[in-house]
Amino acid sequence: MSLFRPLLVRSLTMVGVFFVVLLMLVLTLGLTGFSDRILAATIGEQLRAERTALAETIRDPDEMEKVLEKRREELEIFYGLRTPWYYRLPRTALRVLTLDLGEARSLRSFDGSNRVFDIVTERVPNSMLLLTTSFIITAIIGIIGGSYLATRQGSWLDRFVSGFAAVSFAIPTWWIGILFILILSIQLRILPSGGMYSTPPPTEPLPRFFDLVSHALLPVITLVLVSFGPSIYSIRTITLNIAQEDHVKIARAKGLPERRVRLRHILRVAAPPIVTGLLFGLAGSLSGSILVETVFNWQGMGRLYYDALAGTPDENVIVALTFIFTLMYVAIRIVLEVLYVFLDPRVRYTD
Amino acid sequence: MSRASALQVLLRSGPGFGGVSLLCLLIVVALYVLLVFPLDFGESQWSNPIVWVDNPKAVPPTWTNSLRREARPPHRIFEGTEPHTVQMARSGPVHSWRFPLTYASSHPPTFLAVTLADVKYAERPPLVLISLKRPDGKQLRIYRHTVRGPREGESGPFRRYGQTPLRVQLSTDEATVIAVQNFLADEFDLRLDGAQIGGRVDRFLFGVPTGDSEEAFAPLTGDYEIIVQAALREEGDSVGKVRFVVGGAVFGLMGTDSLGRDLARGLLFGVPVALFIGVISALMSTAIGTSLGIASGYLGGRADITIQRISDIVANVPVLPLLIFMLFIVGPSLWMIIFILVIFGWPGLTIQIRSMVLHMRTNQLLEAIQSLGASRRRVMFRHILPQITPYVFAQLIFGAPAAILSEAGLSFLGLGDPSIPTWGQILEAGFRTGGIYLGYWWWIVPPGLCIVLTALTFMLLGLGIEPVVNPRLRRSPP
Repeated sequence: MSLFRPLLVRSLTMVGVFFVVLLMLVLTLGLTGFSDRILAATIGEQLRAERTALAETIRDPDEMEKVLEKRREELEIFYGLRTPWYYRLPRTALRVLTLDLGEARSLRSFDGSNRVFDIVTERVPNSMLLLTTSFIITAIIGIIGGSYLATRQGSWLDRFVSGFAAVSFAIPTWWIGILFILILSIQLRILPSGGMYSTPPPTEPLPRFFDLVSHALLPVITLVLVSFGPSIYSIRTITLNIAQEDHVKIARAKGLPERRVRLRHILRVAAPPIVTGLLFGLAGSLSGSILVETVFNWQGMGRLYYDALAGTPDENVIVALTFIFTLMYVAIRIVLEVLYVFLDPRVRYTD
Repeated sequence: MSRASALQVLLRSGPGFGGVSLLCLLIVVALYVLLVFPLDFGESQWSNPIVWVDNPKAVPPTWTNSLRREARPPHRIFEGTEPHTVQMARSGPVHSWRFPLTYASSHPPTFLAVTLADVKYAERPPLVLISLKRPDGKQLRIYRHTVRGPREGESGPFRRYGQTPLRVQLSTDEATVIAVQNFLADEFDLRLDGAQIGGRVDRFLFGVPTGDSEEAFAPLTGDYEIIVQAALREEGDSVGKVRFVVGGAVFGLMGTDSLGRDLARGLLFGVPVALFIGVISALMSTAIGTSLGIASGYLGGRADITIQRISDIVANVPVLPLLIFMLFIVGPSLWMIIFILVIFGWPGLTIQIRSMVLHMRTNQLLEAIQSLGASRRRVMFRHILPQITPYVFAQLIFGAPAAILSEAGLSFLGLGDPSIPTWGQILEAGFRTGGIYLGYWWWIVPPGLCIVLTALTFMLLGLGIEPVVNPRLRRSPP
């Protein structure tokens, strides 16, 4: 019972985020006349298909034009192109929601499908792989390093890490990735410069796995390198504040072993704010991964953004990507929020 | 704390001093750029290929020569307007220009190009001849051009190459190739066909055969002379400008990109742009964040709940995907980027300011002021705002790097404002055209360093200002 309310509030915020983003997508599409253009393109495509079918039966070109014109009118009414965009808003929202965004202009999925849904969804696991791996590594380094630094407050290492954390905020992740490519891949030829597998990819599962690891190494290192400084620093500060509290002194006075004090009396109490801190870091690493994927040609959704923006832009793909990114972000956030509520007993008892 | 002593505290801290000096440097550079560069630099120069046509493409900076064992040829441009000598020949006056060139590199030039502009004649078109005199005394005519004659119905005086100067790339020019072919046959008894020479005339013109094979030429170092002669027909005819380019394999302070653009100029122009983006976005989002935060904390009630819900939601939106989406739909423009950064940039500050104001509301001074009948607006602006100003100021400074980095990231994805070159766009061009895979570090490293340096300036300033803002962090005097 007591667990239910905080969970509800947190989930509702995230659902709010989701709907606000959806609303913004739909409003921007509508207000700028973008959805009109997408619909017109869909209708045009359908008409072209029908023209070839009709050509079998109708020979007279004038007759054909008349039939097609009538058909266009029907289609425009069917898709709602004749009504102002705000009447279509719910339908556009539904289209975005169900990822029914038609076909991509030039991008194809790995097995050749041109449906936006296929193209975008097959990339989700690739992105998740990169994002979660680096997120978990950053979290682990942060927790171990942070709780260690808390015992070395004021040491040169402590000062170095705090300086490093500040500098990290001033460094674009993706540029570090480019530097890695320039030095490690191009000059020294140690690691591959991009992609997920070598060409041709190994077929045996084990070599294939190692191939993937060697390709993932640079992007993951890049993502971790710029985020672990701030992560260690914030966890150190949180732990330090708790280590100075009375209950820790009492635990030590009782003669409990230092290890137990650190784990049960400091880290356990520091866990909830640490999770919150990591949550905020997640938003940053999501953005970071879009650009890092682009740099390393990692076949995830971030790279797809870049490909969809290049040359003749693929509008449908961009709309779908923005939507899926939000969806993914909201989903991860909800999972972590639930975790938070379970971790922090105080949330359960205050309400 | 007075302003003077605040500045003292700021300057005494390491980061503060570093930040202030870097900021001064950036401001000086920005002012220089604003004075020297045209405001429409992006459109009129950076994205105008004609401006860069005589530059070598994708070559490293000149100073890299001092790091190399074998120096690469420098880029040389010779330009003349007034003729160096005027002679009278039977056909008419002959204007000539002589450009001495000391060639010391062990590589041939990358290209040779000649440009003629502002040709004026009364009746019959002039003839332009270009010869190359080599250190070994040999001389050959490498280019010959008769200016286009009068068109039907056109009346004199005739003007040619005014709007669009005549530019000839000698390395691939057919007549030049034939001239070189004859030169090799006469002087070195080498018979090469046009395909063997075309595109590589530079190595034959600036070299001597090594004898290893027909096409093996070693660069000939020494004093060359380029002689441009214009055989005019009448007194008063003139060739306004001649330009001869000996293409180098190094260029300027920062090298060039694959279009021949001088990267030093692009990087310089990026300074005021980055400062502008950082300062404007930070100012606007801080202003919105602060005022909403004060309103939320002080007014309370429904206003508080509304503002808190909205900022909770906006703070949790994944910004980059939405930024990409909106910029893509609305079209890339610098103002749009700033506008969107501001829209998503305020909630963090609002949440913090609100909790500070809530804390302050219980304070007795504020209660006293309110009981004296001060209006809500007066309390907010005269009593709450001054107390949080130092904190807001620090946040303002920390906000700038975030905006600069966001703009760079968006530009890198190809969503930068095409009319205003930024460091992110230079990086994007280097990445998209494959510059990194070819190892063009001078194209990739400096713009990134510029971004880091500018962002770091604000970070250091922020770190230096924190002790001023938060007296608890101030070090006690020794």
